[in-house]
Amino acid sequence: MTIRNTLRDHGQRYRPRMACLKKAEKVLLEMQDPKTGVKSQPQRLVITTIPHAITGEDIIAWLADKFHIDAQEARSFGSMLVALGYIYPLQDHKRLVIKPDASLYRFQTPYFWPTQQWPVEDTDYAIYLAKRNIRKKGILELHEQEHYNRLHKWMNHKWDFIVMQAKEQYRAAKERKKPDRVVFDCQERAYWVVHRPPPGTVSAMDYGLDRLVDPHADEATTPDYYERIMIFTQQSIMRPRVKSSVSIGALVKYCATYHNHDPFLSKCLPSNPWLTDDVTYWTLNMPYVEIPTKMRVERWTFSFAELLSDPRGRDDFRLFLKKEFSGENLAFWEGCEDLKWGEAATMREKAENIYKTFLARGAPRWINIDGKTMEITVKGLKHPHRYVLDAAQTHIYMLMKKDSYGRYQKSPVFKDTVKKAICPDEHRFTDAQLEQNARKRRPSVSPIILRQMEREQRAKMAANVDITQLCRFTTPVPHLAVYSGISDFPTANTSPSLPFLAHTPCPSPISVALDSTSASERRAEAADGDAKGNLAARTPAAGNVSKSRMALSLRRLLKRGCTPTTMFASLSPKCHSAAGTSSRIQPISPDQPSQAPPRRIGNFFQIKVDIPPECRIYPIESEDEEEENRAASRGGVGTKEIICPWESLTPHNGTG
Amino acid sequence: MSRWRRSVDGLAARRRQQDECERAQEALSRVTSCFQQLAASLGSSADGSFLRDEMDETRGLAHRISTGLSRRLVRLLSDGDSGTSGVEDRKVSERLWVLFLSALESFLYDLRKAYDLIGQFPLRHRYDRRSLVNTGCIDGVVGVAARVASVQAPWLTLEEEPSPDLTNHITGLEIMLSEMQLRVPVPFWSVEATQPAWAEACGELEEPDDTLEDLMEVEVVSNDTSSRMVACCQPACCGLGFVG
Repeated sequence: MTIRNTLRDHGQRYRPRMACLKKAEKVLLEMQDPKTGVKSQPQRLVITTIPHAITGEDIIAWLADKFHIDAQEARSFGSMLVALGYIYPLQDHKRLVIKPDASLYRFQTPYFWPTQQWPVEDTDYAIYLAKRNIRKKGILELHEQEHYNRLHKWMNHKWDFIVMQAKEQYRAAKERKKPDRVVFDCQERAYWVVHRPPPGTVSAMDYGLDRLVDPHADEATTPDYYERIMIFTQQSIMRPRVKSSVSIGALVKYCATYHNHDPFLSKCLPSNPWLTDDVTYWTLNMPYVEIPTKMRVERWTFSFAELLSDPRGRDDFRLFLKKEFSGENLAFWEGCEDLKWGEAATMREKAENIYKTFLARGAPRWINIDGKTMEITVKGLKHPHRYVLDAAQTHIYMLMKKDSYGRYQKSPVFKDTVKKAICPDEHRFTDAQLEQNARKRRPSVSPIILRQMEREQRAKMAANVDITQLCRFTTPVPHLAVYSGISDFPTANTSPSLPFLAHTPCPSPISVALDSTSASERRAEAADGDAKGNLAARTPAAGNVSKSRMALSLRRLLKRGCTPTTMFASLSPKCHSAAGTSSRIQPISPDQPSQAPPRRIGNFFQIKVDIPPECRIYPIESEDEEEENRAASRGGVGTKEIICPWESLTPHNGTG
Repeated sequence: MSRWRRSVDGLAARRRQQDECERAQEALSRVTSCFQQLAASLGSSADGSFLRDEMDETRGLAHRISTGLSRRLVRLLSDGDSGTSGVEDRKVSERLWVLFLSALESFLYDLRKAYDLIGQFPLRHRYDRRSLVNTGCIDGVVGVAARVASVQAPWLTLEEEPSPDLTNHITGLEIMLSEMQLRVPVPFWSVEATQPAWAEACGELEEPDDTLEDLMEVEVVSNDTSSRMVACCQPACCGLGFVG
């Protein structure tokens, strides 16, 4: 059994549950008892003496005594009370911790107690800042200045009220006797330290968004309420069960595996940004970083799901699969994920695309799934929905996990990544440096920009994938030897008067690769061969002279090379057997040469093949060329061409 | 009367009303800030029947001011609609409206808190006093009460209304707020502040005041590993506070 859903848990864990507040209040009230409560002493100030000050050690001793816990735990409990704002320190007011010595604290007045039922208002904070401004004649701390400016901008319409109220509150406070005034000022300051913490202060009330529902409120017992209880109970009964030994074993294993990777339980290298305000850790672990950290790479070995869920890991795996020529599995899996999690509007198109690219007979990136799954999937595709490809996706996932994953971990790609992975040194910040870091805190890149970058990357990848694969097949001979085994290609012996190569909207690697060859050489080669005459005649007609020369050279190379035709139906050596069978090829067969043009419209994929050894590789077809092809191949061999769906601009491509 | 004459009279009347509302607004601010000072002592060791009585009185005063002010503002702004008010006039009225509503919201917040706290610390019996929080406040609201008593509002002597108890006051205010917002559509965001940011810092205070850090000056113990000096103290104060 494995622990699932550690990442995409859309559950309830994130909402703050402050039920501790009511309990803390009870404890606090017990501390007040004159006989059994915490001992208080007067605080001596220059101007006066204020009663009811308590020492840290007294608080800790009282807590340890009352709850029968040891000093360490009492100290944590006490710190929690301070971090929540029920007790505030009189010295060092920005650090909300309990010090187990004679440092002084005081209880906060109930008006300033933390609670979720009275949310903290920005208006009040603005009034407080204005008051401080008046008092300190404009000398506020940096974070207070920032808040002030922001509130002045957003609350401009009530700013007059805020200033007026600040002045009035200031004067009202002065009416009180001096000791009370000091106390009130301390209380107010402590309240705002908890609810608008200065940088570097950790406050327990700084928890983010509120729950929609107050956990302390009583819920009305309507019929709906009982209905919900019934549904919940019924679902609990229907849930599948696992033996506790198994589940506990899984938990233990999970904890043991991830122990060193947990920033709470172990050190976080170089340093935990939440503690030191230094963001190196985050920059080193960005989703698409070039060089991952050692810890990250180690996580990829824990499970296949970890590898796939990390974008960098997936990239690495994709690279490995590309070298093994089995990239279609991962591409299919990613397509299914896109379908599952994507927008509903484009779902139908996406499902069709995926079918045509991966599942249809003779598809360019055909994946190898068993017959039964294929049957289910095809049937489901008649009425596509988000999860229609789930069975196939699971099959491919397990295939990758059982087969490719293991090989990946032993592959040179992975070993290289492991070697290059970095292990940063731990930061050792002094207190002054920590404060400086806190001051330099700035918000990170906006998620909108991150999403745009992600989209661009995905588009780039989709644009690149097939061409680069083709590139391997179209480079000179030695590589082609891989495919020489495919020799049972049906005979198509008529003249290969297919003109020339694709003219791609995006620069074809073929053109790039062969650009360097000199024109004259090609022309000389083109001279021989009867079929070339056609082509030579055609070349002036073509707009793109150089490309046609490339086509010729390509033909020469391939002719020189060997017999086979490269079947682009499969780009993977695994599909050798499948590639041979003509049944995989789309209905167009060389026997029906004239069928090519009309067929092209009916079928999305047509595998355009010449008579061997003349094989053409046309990654892209443009409209013009198809016209010419049609014209050329009228008497010629049946044409089969593969049109990559996401790059073809031709109208017959339904999804365009 | 000629139309011109009528419009001038109308203008003057409106100006008077606006001034009246301004003064009432200031009075309301004063009363609500005093109320906050009182409410801050609820549940603490300074809590008692005197405090609660003072709070009730303050609350009643605030109620009278706010009802009068709301009536006048509604009249001002709905009149202004039909009458020949200039854009400037209307802007002033809208500003007053927005300020009043903000003051009401702030006061309502304080009232709700006070209501909860009174519920939590009822003080009906003697032993309830044991659970009061020892905050260090002794008693000191007399000055605040006096300040409340000194508040003047233009119509206070004219209109005498019985002040409601706390629950009714809260509901009454809520109703008043929603009614006012429904009756007159005023765009909040069009009102701008009359003074720039940081202006209040440059204003002169009545007398130079000590900052909290100065007030929190602690005596320095002479034999000293654990000196409890507060951070930013000026040498002059140090000298005063030094205990040999």
